[in-house]
Amino acid sequence: MTAHADTLAQTRQFAGGRRNIAGPSADTLRVWPLLILLIALFDLPLLFTLGLSLYGKNGFTLAHYAELLNTPAYLGVMASTLRVSLIATLVNALVGYPLAYWITGLDPRRRGIALACVLLPFWVSILVRTYAWIVVLGNGGLVNRLLQWGGVVDEPISFLYSEVGVTIGMTNVLLPFLVLPLYATMMRIDGRLTQAASSLGASSWTVFWRVFFPLTVPTLAASSLLVFMLSLGFYVTPAILGGGKVAMAGNLLDSLINQIPRWEMAAALAAVLLVITLAIYFAYARLGRWSRA
Amino acid sequence: MKRRDFAIGAPFVIAAATLGSGSVLAQPKVIRMVESGGKSGESIEVAYIKPFTAKTGVRVSREAPNPLGKLRAMVGSGNVSAALFELGSPSLAQAKALGLLDKLDWAAIDPLPIFPEARDDYGMGFQYFSTVMAWRADAKAPATWADFFDVDRFPGKRALPDYPHYLLQFALIGDGVSADKVFPLDVDRAFRKLETVKKSVSVWWKAGTQPPQLLKDNEVRYAISWSTRIVDEPTLRFTYDQGMYDISWLTVPKGVEPAEKALAMKLLHEVTVPENQVRATEIIKLSGNSVDLERLVGAEKFATFPTATKNKASQFRQDAEWWRINGEAVNKRWETFKLAL
Repeated sequence: MTAHADTLAQTRQFAGGRRNIAGPSADTLRVWPLLILLIALFDLPLLFTLGLSLYGKNGFTLAHYAELLNTPAYLGVMASTLRVSLIATLVNALVGYPLAYWITGLDPRRRGIALACVLLPFWVSILVRTYAWIVVLGNGGLVNRLLQWGGVVDEPISFLYSEVGVTIGMTNVLLPFLVLPLYATMMRIDGRLTQAASSLGASSWTVFWRVFFPLTVPTLAASSLLVFMLSLGFYVTPAILGGGKVAMAGNLLDSLINQIPRWEMAAALAAVLLVITLAIYFAYARLGRWSRA
Repeated sequence: MKRRDFAIGAPFVIAAATLGSGSVLAQPKVIRMVESGGKSGESIEVAYIKPFTAKTGVRVSREAPNPLGKLRAMVGSGNVSAALFELGSPSLAQAKALGLLDKLDWAAIDPLPIFPEARDDYGMGFQYFSTVMAWRADAKAPATWADFFDVDRFPGKRALPDYPHYLLQFALIGDGVSADKVFPLDVDRAFRKLETVKKSVSVWWKAGTQPPQLLKDNEVRYAISWSTRIVDEPTLRFTYDQGMYDISWLTVPKGVEPAEKALAMKLLHEVTVPENQVRATEIIKLSGNSVDLERLVGAEKFATFPTATKNKASQFRQDAEWWRINGEAVNKRWETFKLAL
């Protein structure tokens, strides 16, 4: 009962908060310092990067993009990046959604502990976390030793140095980005809606799929999109847990910038990656408008 | 680090140039150096910076890591904040071709006797490192690259570098090319050889810490590794036979203040002093450039170092110039090869 009262209180609080944000605000000036910082340190360099891919010594050129399209290796790396990111996003959603749902149902004390566990990865360096998976999942790691000790397997199972290893590592790093927004949304759902559905005779299965789940879909989609976009730029995790076999754009960009060095080509690749991300984002925004209409 | 340098780039050129011009007249109290960090950086600090600061009263602040992209961004922005920049040999060749470096003033450096190949117009080779074959003590020991790449007679997983620069040479020698004729590389033949072993490769490594760890964890039985990572591991073995030595360089970025460059030349002098190099060997098992180092350290103790007379004779040298010209084409082949793994 207390948990339910909490939920209601938070729902109201949130509704009130949103009204404040949505209302016309006199102090938009406060946004400017951050905005200027972003423009100077992020947007302008991004534009310069784009320029690098389009303007050479002889003025405007599309040569770098042509070369990109004519190099099957680079296209292959892009395709692999999209595929690995998609897999990581799907696994994240499949693991993250039930987790967020489960946390919502806990009493406040346990909820706090569970959320802290989800947040923990944020406080540990990505490199440490990645190497931790080697300790856990390697040939001489915890899991394999347990399996061998228990007589489940004779030879160690290779979890790592493949796409499986990369997916596990990326899911671990990205999970909070999906679980936290979903948790917030689920907490906000008015408990009276599900109660009403039950009182009208719906089974708990129907209540979940026809009332609860649809209310969480926008957040699920938005946070999955966020996870996907973050996945596209992953570098350390695929390099270490993929055993160098899982091609990602980040690793290719590193060699194009720091080893070869072909900054124009790197800029062209980065631009293509950006365009893909923006296209997905706009498709999502469109989808959102349709679903509301 | 990399991302930040990239971001700072052009928008602050003007601001940085204004700030920079103020320091022309003042005698610098501190100069900056970009180097590779870790134990190597520590050895530079203890062996070379300490005596330099004792003589001149000028401090040196170190900063890591040292990717070529950082040098390019620094020189391109016009705000050359570092007087010395460490580069690997392929990066040195690239930096020279891109015009990112100032010539060294060898008369001002006034070096003590060093190996001839460590002396370049644009850089001083200060650290010799070797790429070698390594294996677990309980695995059948390979004697040649032909053995190393023979997965039937020497069964077990491999860890190979995720850098064609430090791999294709060995594949060719393993296929029967003699080490002194390996450059120019027969790229097609090298990739054909790699095709025959790729199923046995469990990791293509990026970081030098990976191969010794993978060997110790029994994740692989054979690996190509930097020698310095293997030397002190009691359960691992390696050989300098048919290994490849390479040189790390200290360079001066183009456009550095003359006063800072003059100080950098004084620091480079310290880098050629064999007694200083002995101190560096106590921190990291890499050789300095002095011809007298072996005599000073003692042949027995020096036997595990890349430039011990016997080790240097049994190795071949990396050809950075070949990679500068062919690096990009090879890298496309490399990406293609890896996509089909």
